[in-house]
Amino acid sequence: MTTISTPAEQVPVSAPLVGRPDVNRKRMARLGWSFSAPALALIAAVTIFPIVYSVIMSLSNVTVTGNGIALNGFTWSNYSTVLSNPTWHYALGFTLIYTLITVVVELILGTAIALVLQRLTAGRGWMMALLLIPWSMITVINAQLWAYIYQGTYGVATYLFGIQNILGTSTPAIIGLMIADIWKTTPFVAIIVLAGLVMLPGDIYEAAEVDGSSGWSTFWRITVPLLRPTLALAVLFRVLQAFGLFDLPWVMTNGGPGTATTSLAILGYKAMFQNLHFGTGAAVATTTALLVLLGCLLSLRTFRVQVGKEN
Amino acid sequence: MRKRKRTGWRRVINGINISTFLVVVFIGAPLYWLIASSFKTPVNIGASPPQLFPNPVSGANYSQAFNQYNFGQYFINSLIVTVLATALVLILGTLAGYALGRLPMRGKFTLMVSLLIISVFPAIAVIAPLYTLLKDLGWLNSYQGLIIPYTAFNLPFAIWILRNYMLGIPKEMEETGRIDGAGPLRTVWSIILPMALPGIFTAAIFCFTACWTEFLMALTFNSANNFKTIPVGIATFGTALEVPFGPIFAASVVAVVPIGILVFIFRKFVISGLTSGAVKG
Repeated sequence: MTTISTPAEQVPVSAPLVGRPDVNRKRMARLGWSFSAPALALIAAVTIFPIVYSVIMSLSNVTVTGNGIALNGFTWSNYSTVLSNPTWHYALGFTLIYTLITVVVELILGTAIALVLQRLTAGRGWMMALLLIPWSMITVINAQLWAYIYQGTYGVATYLFGIQNILGTSTPAIIGLMIADIWKTTPFVAIIVLAGLVMLPGDIYEAAEVDGSSGWSTFWRITVPLLRPTLALAVLFRVLQAFGLFDLPWVMTNGGPGTATTSLAILGYKAMFQNLHFGTGAAVATTTALLVLLGCLLSLRTFRVQVGKEN
Repeated sequence: MRKRKRTGWRRVINGINISTFLVVVFIGAPLYWLIASSFKTPVNIGASPPQLFPNPVSGANYSQAFNQYNFGQYFINSLIVTVLATALVLILGTLAGYALGRLPMRGKFTLMVSLLIISVFPAIAVIAPLYTLLKDLGWLNSYQGLIIPYTAFNLPFAIWILRNYMLGIPKEMEETGRIDGAGPLRTVWSIILPMALPGIFTAAIFCFTACWTEFLMALTFNSANNFKTIPVGIATFGTALEVPFGPIFAASVVAVVPIGILVFIFRKFVISGLTSGAVKG
């Protein structure tokens, strides 16, 4: 912008918006871009550039040099290494099953909690505050807390249920991780579902009661269909989060025992920062991101279709 | 939940109360265990059978966390990074949210959808390029090396929240400002900002929580002892052979308190943020 045009532009902006809508519109659009430019530039630099670079890395021969990494030409080999690797197959399966089970359990438990809280006449505010504590808790703290509960010799779970070495055995370790996750994120689902429940029209329920509908069939025939957009949103949030699973297994089991709790994110991270295989690590990270994106687009599509039907 | 007869209401209320009690136990028991264990002596924390109540009540874990494990430094680091990143997100996010919500820009819809997609991208997909970038800049183990990525990663959600609030403000408000001769920045500051305050609180509490709890980037970029944040500190208190649960839980209680207070005060805004998507749908 030149010095001559600057004062000329400042005057009309402060003038009343009468008469010249086209000129004003243009000026307003320019103002909009200059207001959003800093935010958009920062997002582009710190997220879009690395995403693109990560994809390039996954398609390159990456060598580790003294002060960083160097890309030496194009190759598919990172992807063929990853796609044929049994550890990756396992990590993919583990992440998918982990996501599926935790999200389903959280949805059922969260809806149950929301239904209880909806009928609560006093103290709902306090219950909401209690629900928000696990949500706002640092995942690493959650991990350490459950690692202590599961501890092999003096953990309270070991004492109560007599299971030895929970985190050192594959299946118990996986279940243990899931329980820790379910404890932390069920409240989140409950809050979203409760907000959805509160917004449902009350007269439908009165009509159902007059028609002699039982509680159970009212729930399945009225509450669930009306709540579907809310449930879809909760599922979407949770699936995206669960699929990036990293903090919990990193602290509780470090992906072990063996590779039993190695999620896609843990596998990618270890490939890059422990084994310095940046090419294959980037390929793991990129495929994970693509799967997340695919899942997101699919759910958004289903979500929109459902909303469209209801309107 | 049978047909509600007047005679049966007492039973229904009781059922609800019992269920509520179960919910409180489900959420409260692990929290109680965290707090109770933080006050146990080093010997009692490894007692078998476990002690239900800390006896004697000991503050040893708290002093150990600060004196031996450098937790004070981690706390200060987390505070600096979180507060500055949140402030940046609010400044940049309010301006962008205002522009995208109220000003006639082309391609707004595409921009908003792109922001949504970026905000769901898993951090693992960008961690290596960001690491090399920060290394080249000499920003590994620095405050700005976390503040800038945290700002960028929390901006898309903040812009979405703020834009939705901006959309709800009546158009006449800005025109009053213009007639009074206020410039665009002044209009945002003195007219739009007060009206968008609930949205700003919501964005602030979400950004604060996200930065306070973030682990992957903090672990990768700031691994030097003087620049660790709380999550990285708590994850690396121990050695491979021994995990000092006492000091870990003492530090955890200290870390949960500030965010707990914030979330409690602003719970209305947290809930409105969590459900804003549902309202839109």
